[in-house]
Amino acid sequence: MTAPAHLLLALFILLPAAYVFGLSFMQSSYGQDASFVGLENYAKLLQDRYFWVSAWNTFIVVNSVVYIELALALLLMAVLPPPGLLCRVIISIILMPYAVSEVVGVLMVKYMFDPGVGIVAYWLQALGVPELEWTTQPSHALVLVVVLSVWLHMPFTFLIVYTARLGLPPELYEAARTDGANAWQRFCHVTLPLLMPAILVALVFRYIFAFRIFPEVWLLTHGGPARQTEVLAVYLYKSAFRYNDFGMASATAWAMVVLSLLIAAAYLRSMYRRMFVYAS
Amino acid sequence: MRARSLSLRFAVCVKAAGLLLAILWSAFPIFLLLSSSFKKPVDIFAVPAKLVFEPTMDNYVRLWREWPVFFESLLNSLIVTCGATLLTIVASALAGWVLSRCEGRYVTGSAFALIVLRLLPPIVITLPLFPVTNLLGLNDTRILLVFLYATFFVSLGTWIMKASFDQIPRALEEAAANDGASLRQTLQHISMPLGIPGMIAAGVFVFIHAWNDYLFAFIFTTTRAKTAPVVLSEIMGSATGVDWGVLFAGASMQLLPIVIFVILVQKYLIAGLTSGSLKG
Repeated sequence: MTAPAHLLLALFILLPAAYVFGLSFMQSSYGQDASFVGLENYAKLLQDRYFWVSAWNTFIVVNSVVYIELALALLLMAVLPPPGLLCRVIISIILMPYAVSEVVGVLMVKYMFDPGVGIVAYWLQALGVPELEWTTQPSHALVLVVVLSVWLHMPFTFLIVYTARLGLPPELYEAARTDGANAWQRFCHVTLPLLMPAILVALVFRYIFAFRIFPEVWLLTHGGPARQTEVLAVYLYKSAFRYNDFGMASATAWAMVVLSLLIAAAYLRSMYRRMFVYAS
Repeated sequence: MRARSLSLRFAVCVKAAGLLLAILWSAFPIFLLLSSSFKKPVDIFAVPAKLVFEPTMDNYVRLWREWPVFFESLLNSLIVTCGATLLTIVASALAGWVLSRCEGRYVTGSAFALIVLRLLPPIVITLPLFPVTNLLGLNDTRILLVFLYATFFVSLGTWIMKASFDQIPRALEEAAANDGASLRQTLQHISMPLGIPGMIAAGVFVFIHAWNDYLFAFIFTTTRAKTAPVVLSEIMGSATGVDWGVLFAGASMQLLPIVIFVILVQKYLIAGLTSGSLKG
């Protein structure tokens, strides 16, 4: 009965992934038979300046997004009222961005940060923040990508951390309070250590998902100007569907697979142990 | 004493301010988008944005006249989303039941494979899949999107279903078997009905994703099977310059149903996230 689930995974993920692995050792393009070139694609990849630009952008964006999200989620948890109707209403509001498509998110950002009519651009100007020239400045465009990504995905991080927080025994807080710990001390010495497992899970998942980032960048800048805002997924897409270089694209793909698995290595190891060692 | 109550009052104020900021951060962009869809062009470009304005349906009328394809794409989105949700629920429920009830190396191994495959970046599989689906005539069909979205969510779905079946006492199934019910009958009348809350939790994630996804729809559809996010991105990038009013109208129609959906099912989102990622 696991057959349907595994069939789906095998047909649409495992086989294609294996095929990509093979393709990454070939030279291949439209109207041309694939020929074996060994590691040449990987060598070419490592020499390509734009690959490193996209790898660096991905690194910066993913790390900023993941940690800003976590910080905001923890802050939010600290200011949330005790469980009840008010709390539920607030959580509903906070969850709303989770429902927003990246396309609509990009549209909002484009409108709100428009240098001419954007309301947020206007507010920032009023606060004396220098104007974001995101259409011409690669680093400014990446700032917008980070802001949008955090906006879209913070609810996910928040939910994981918050549900774990609900599971903590209230007696611990009573005890900490009788011992005279203030709110900050309670947070640092009770909440944070006990939430660590949940925080790690949230981090792993967000790293994995943030690493795939494509629509935000593609729709906001198409990777431009001058390919300076590409991330790995955009680089891959362009190699394959713009420059028709499937060998290079496959090499990029496998670089992404390996990096994804590396990010998740510790998590996978602990899952593996729990499932195989303790279960049997 | 007085100092203490002052600092307490200060803490309450900081908390309230933080909450207000969080609500503003989450809800303002959505509010701005929805309200702007009823604005005349002159109000859309007003700086700063107006809160009070004379509403008009003009944008929706023009969307209807100039982009009839958008309404077709909404229908495509609805069909693809429902199909992917159903397929995910069926495959996950069957696999989840096996993972919950059976033991052994094969079962554990297959559960582990589900986790690993979920970590692969989706863009990686577009490379080999694109030429193959092209050959099979599956490109630009809704059925392909149904399979792709289901594939990326059977893993989470199966884990949610496993957790859900773990809660149902085996004694119930054993009692049915003792009364002479076949495995099929037991599943149909006992296990599956009890697993319905889990099925809803497994379904909501793929539902939200399939409705909002841009990546797969962008790569695998060209004309007939285009989903709403793809058409929105086309309106946004149209050569004649962005028509913000029309764009806001379309985005609102894509956004509002799913925001309401997320608010309605938040209980299941929370349940699914805890069982699918934490205990998993």
